[in-house]
Amino acid sequence: MIAIILAKFRMFIRNPWTFIIFTVMSLGFAFIIGGNGAVSTITVPITAEEGAIENINLKESLENEEAFRFNWLDEEEMRNQIENGKAEAGVILSDDSYQLIIGVESPNVSMIEQAVQRAYMKHNQKEAIVKAAEADTEDKRETLLQDFEATMESPVFEVETTRFTSEDAVIYDNTFQSLFGFTLFFVIYTIAYNLLPILVEKREGIWDRMILSPVKKWEVYVANLVYSFLEGYIQIVIIFCVFHYGLKLDFYGKFVEVLLLSVPYVFAIVALSILLTAIVKNVQQFNAVIPIIAVSMAMIGGAYWPLEIVESEILIALSKINPITYGMEILNGVVLYGYSFEELLYPISILVLMGVVMTGLGIHLMERRHV
Amino acid sequence: MLELVDLSKKFKQLYAVKNVNMFVERGEIIGLLGPNGAGKSTAISMISSLAEPTSGDVRFHNESILKKPGDFRNIVGVIPQEIALYTDLTADENLQFFGRMYRLKGSTLKNKINEILDLVGLTDRRKDVVKTFSGGMKRRLNIGVALLHDPELLIMDEPTVGIDPQSRNYILETVKRLNKERDMTVIYTSHYMEEVEFLCDRIYIMDHGNLIASGTNEEIKRILSSEKTISIKSDQLNEQFISLIQEHPLVNRVVTTDKEITLMVAKEVSMFVELTKFAEQAGIELTSVHNRTPTLEDVFLHLTGRALRD
Repeated sequence: MIAIILAKFRMFIRNPWTFIIFTVMSLGFAFIIGGNGAVSTITVPITAEEGAIENINLKESLENEEAFRFNWLDEEEMRNQIENGKAEAGVILSDDSYQLIIGVESPNVSMIEQAVQRAYMKHNQKEAIVKAAEADTEDKRETLLQDFEATMESPVFEVETTRFTSEDAVIYDNTFQSLFGFTLFFVIYTIAYNLLPILVEKREGIWDRMILSPVKKWEVYVANLVYSFLEGYIQIVIIFCVFHYGLKLDFYGKFVEVLLLSVPYVFAIVALSILLTAIVKNVQQFNAVIPIIAVSMAMIGGAYWPLEIVESEILIALSKINPITYGMEILNGVVLYGYSFEELLYPISILVLMGVVMTGLGIHLMERRHV
Repeated sequence: MLELVDLSKKFKQLYAVKNVNMFVERGEIIGLLGPNGAGKSTAISMISSLAEPTSGDVRFHNESILKKPGDFRNIVGVIPQEIALYTDLTADENLQFFGRMYRLKGSTLKNKINEILDLVGLTDRRKDVVKTFSGGMKRRLNIGVALLHDPELLIMDEPTVGIDPQSRNYILETVKRLNKERDMTVIYTSHYMEEVEFLCDRIYIMDHGNLIASGTNEEIKRILSSEKTISIKSDQLNEQFISLIQEHPLVNRVVTTDKEITLMVAKEVSMFVELTKFAEQAGIELTSVHNRTPTLEDVFLHLTGRALRD
């Protein structure tokens, strides 16, 4: 058995291109579509009425916003940008009010408004403190505000606000959606094309040679399954490591769990591949079937988009017999939803069950067909 | 040594092999002949224990191989029709791999590999990847792999298909050497009658799953001892000429190719005058007309009605 695995790895080293291509494609798609986890900022043109915003507090508060970059322009330039579609909305600030110029109605507009409101609230809060402390000179005012900032940075006690996430709540993270989705999708190809040689070996008599040797038939099967499993799993580990160590994506502290919990999915895909290898009659059929199966599984299983946005009852029903659904559920569950092991046990069990059934069926079909 | 008893294999309603009885003595080279679809490969699969018979038995030293196929597999070497090698590995690595399959290791494996490479004449190319080999070299290595565990019985399924004459001669000589020097018993299937005539002590002929003849070369040729073969060659053969011959009452059998017609007639019959007359009627010119004693190929034609390579 070891000899078979070693020979396979030797051939892999001689010809690693399938593995490299699918690994690079997974990385590329996940990176391009999902980004590397960094928060992207939206540029918002902003202007102030003449004489307004002398106090820098408001300006500073706005510039400290993480989600937006406020670009100071004059009013005409700002309006031009909105008219030309270069900005979704702009803001005109006055001393105690603001005006929102909206070019495109989008969820960002209300977030811009909230950011501006937060800045005014903070500004008003500081003014109220200054007024209450009767800091009538500029020096007193400055000292008071510095003390205020220092206190805000290291408060005497902190109030932490948390909320219960209901079962129906959906957390969508584009980075993880793309990373998990494309990784689980492309690994199907890697694993399937590693089991394809069984068809070639049977056609060319290599399989018979192994069966005629003292090596047991189950050893030949297990060696092929183990090798395909290892290669698929190594691909997943490489992709996640590149994101974790290279792009500093911290999987919300669940990196090791993500690696470990990928195992049942890889097992199920190895089993699916052996079943497909048993069903098809030749390499040409296999090459035709694999993309159809992989792409449809990815679409139905939520690898390209979250399953939560799918409304079709049929597609949802189909997703229940799709390994990708459970693979995504495990990975999203552990990283985004913080599922406990008990909660993860259901998708893990389904994948293991799928793996066992498909492996058994696949080997049975192969044996029946083999003369 | 090896005996096939009423061996049959049925796929759905069709018999691929039907009630075949055969025996092989130790040290013999046995030829198994038959056109495509005759059932040779199915018979070989059952003899090598890769396929289970529908009925009947394969006995090795009077014991059914079906009871302990593992024991039998240790002493049989099978050379499949296909090049059953990993073409991305070198000759050395292929032998190492299959040697390990036979639980060979360390210096035993190393010595065996050296011996095999020497036997098949590939020592100089041992470090080369198999996909860079010529067809003949691949065939030789294919044979070498089957010899790693010193089998008592070697089953060769058309081992010379698609190779150059030089490699074919090398392979035939190797089989002879293995038989003589190591007393190896060989079952040899081929499409090339001259190979079987050169190598085999006895021949079995199969057609449509049935065994239709068996014996030594001479015994089989004697089947046609009362007949002779007339071979006619012409560049202008046409339908009229062929049908005139076919309709002649003294002609027992006619086989035609592009430029040649072979007919069998009773030994005492002379057809020369008739053939000249037929050629004149059909408006063709004959290049040559030869009388000869029947060959194994003629016997095969007589028995199956088909040329061996049909």
